[in-house]
Amino acid sequence: MVMIGRIRLWIIAASVVSLAALSAVSWLSYRNTKELIAANERLARAHKMIEDLAALHVLLDDAETGCRDYALSGRTESLKPYEAALAQLDVTMQVLRRDLAADPNRSRQFQELEPVVNARLETMKELVRARSASGLEAAVRVLQSDRGKKLTDEIRQRISIVQTEERNDLLDRERESRERARTTILGVGVTCLLGIVLLLTASLVIVRLNRQSESDHIALQNAERIQRTILNSAAYSMISTDKTGLILTVNAATEKWLQYRGAELAGSSILRLHDAGELQSRGVQLTRAMGMPVRGDYQALVTKAGYGVADDFECTYVRKDGTRFPVSLSVTALRTGGNDLAGYLMIATDLSEQRAIEKMKDEFVSVVSHELRTPLTSIKGALGLLVGGVTGPLPPKAGEMAQIALSNSDRLSRLVDDILDLQRIESGRITMDKQLCNVAAIMKESSESVGLVAEGEGVTIELSPCTGSINADQQRIVQALVNLLGNAIKFSPRGGRIEFAAERTDRSVVFRVEDNGRGIPKDKLETIFERFQQVDASDAREKGGTGLGLAIVRSIVQQHSGRVWAESELGRGSKFCIQLPLLEPHPLSTE
Amino acid sequence: MPRSLLVIDDDRDIRQVAKTSLELVGGFHVIVADSGQRGLTLAHEARPDAIILDLMMPDLDGRKTLAQLKRTPETASIPVIMLTAKVQADRQELVGQGAAGVLVKPFDPMQLPDQVCQILGWVPSGKDEDRSDAAEK
Repeated sequence: MVMIGRIRLWIIAASVVSLAALSAVSWLSYRNTKELIAANERLARAHKMIEDLAALHVLLDDAETGCRDYALSGRTESLKPYEAALAQLDVTMQVLRRDLAADPNRSRQFQELEPVVNARLETMKELVRARSASGLEAAVRVLQSDRGKKLTDEIRQRISIVQTEERNDLLDRERESRERARTTILGVGVTCLLGIVLLLTASLVIVRLNRQSESDHIALQNAERIQRTILNSAAYSMISTDKTGLILTVNAATEKWLQYRGAELAGSSILRLHDAGELQSRGVQLTRAMGMPVRGDYQALVTKAGYGVADDFECTYVRKDGTRFPVSLSVTALRTGGNDLAGYLMIATDLSEQRAIEKMKDEFVSVVSHELRTPLTSIKGALGLLVGGVTGPLPPKAGEMAQIALSNSDRLSRLVDDILDLQRIESGRITMDKQLCNVAAIMKESSESVGLVAEGEGVTIELSPCTGSINADQQRIVQALVNLLGNAIKFSPRGGRIEFAAERTDRSVVFRVEDNGRGIPKDKLETIFERFQQVDASDAREKGGTGLGLAIVRSIVQQHSGRVWAESELGRGSKFCIQLPLLEPHPLSTE
Repeated sequence: MPRSLLVIDDDRDIRQVAKTSLELVGGFHVIVADSGQRGLTLAHEARPDAIILDLMMPDLDGRKTLAQLKRTPETASIPVIMLTAKVQADRQELVGQGAAGVLVKPFDPMQLPDQVCQILGWVPSGKDEDRSDAAEK
């Protein structure tokens, strides 16, 4: 935009300057032409003046010659040229007077000339009179007086002066004219050059503007093309609706997956593509979570998005032929520039393949667990019978070896259990059977599970439960707590004491298992929750752990939206905490 | 008179270990079958006091064999304990289909007989008892 403003300024400036230059040149041309015309007129006048003066000269000569001829010959025929010249002279003098009137100098010069010319004419008249009246001798006497010649000389001189002056004037004027013409041409030339330069610049600017506009156009086209490509991406179904849930547009993938043509869907309700039952449940769920009524229709789909909360969830799309498939749906509110709600955008990814893969994984896990456990059963069975003495007494060394084999087969068995457990929990495919569970009941079950083991190790467990309930899969939470208790017992000294407590904060419950064992170094407090991590490599053998227990605990806790962490001081003991959200009877907070 | 058990499992080694455990530790009389079909036949012929049945078997699997046992009047009253690797077991479902209980693989051969007695509500019979019984007779 700034670019265009500057260019516009440039163009206006260029136009103004060109116009000014053109006007200046026009005016200069006009003035010079006028002066040229004036000069030409003056030139003509000067030439006329010179000619007329020359004519005067000739006339006077003719008159003089005719007069003398008559004076000498006495023939009247000789008088004819004299009379003709006389007649002509009058006119010529009139003309000259007019010619020289324009210039004061010339006027003065004429006024000085005229009496001299008249005087000469008088002398000629005198001569003619003398001859005609008195005869030849009287005429000769007049001729010899020489007066006529002097006058003629004076006339000639005066005429010559004027002629010369005029000629000089002319030359000066001509030079002046030439110079003026030169400067004019220079001026015109420069202005034209300036004009050309400005025109070129303007053209360049316009060309650039054009190119810019073209490339802008191309960029816009490219952007549109990219947008269309994204919209028609095969990987996502995109549906836009208005505020009331009526479908506005769908992309190519939507048409393909749902078997509708775009035109069939435009204007229909988005509910046509969903499972009514699912929407009902979602409505109920959102009502509880958001603390406000949410209907089980399109509201269940768009309410969260309308509040600007990211809304991603899984649901079912229904095809034209009624078949269904699972999708992961992401709903966003579409707003106009003024931040008014215009509608919603629903982007879905097809989960069918993902679900199929997960089903295959679950089946694989099933098969593997059976396949691994079958030979383990025989190994553990056979070794157990050997070590148990059922087949007869074993020599001591043989017994030792058999014992080693047996305890390791136990370890292997536990490892298989844990790996498979972890796999199923982490994949989230184990639908945790979450129900209302009482905290105290959970703690009682957990501590009873490890009661015998604790007794065997000479370790006591101190129970300090609290009130409250959590939304959890009791079996899994107990599994997690039993794991922590088992670790605590393992690492407690004989006669040691384990604190097993639960405390309430305003929104959650924190279970705490504290021992005074050897502790965990600070740099391991995070990593121990990863797979196959044990604080000491020898632990695996001595304490019989699989290295997966805490990973399983973390997985279970995460599936319950909770947190598990460890605090410890080397040599003093360790504290493991599990924090889980407390289940309130009337939830008022948002999810 | 020692109680008799029928062990149905397609794995030879498991059959042998189970038999050894139940006989030498538990003092039971044990017969074995290597398939569901064979098991049905033996159950019909020998009328054991209880059957230990593996869940995952080729051809006629554990569930189908159980259904068949319960359908046949002669074998319907024989208690059946399902033997299974943990993951597939659905205790409630199997009990619902007629099983007396579920045992998990791998088992401890020294505990297996007691576990069986616990499920069936039998008093664990030691070898001494059998010998003394036999002596009385």
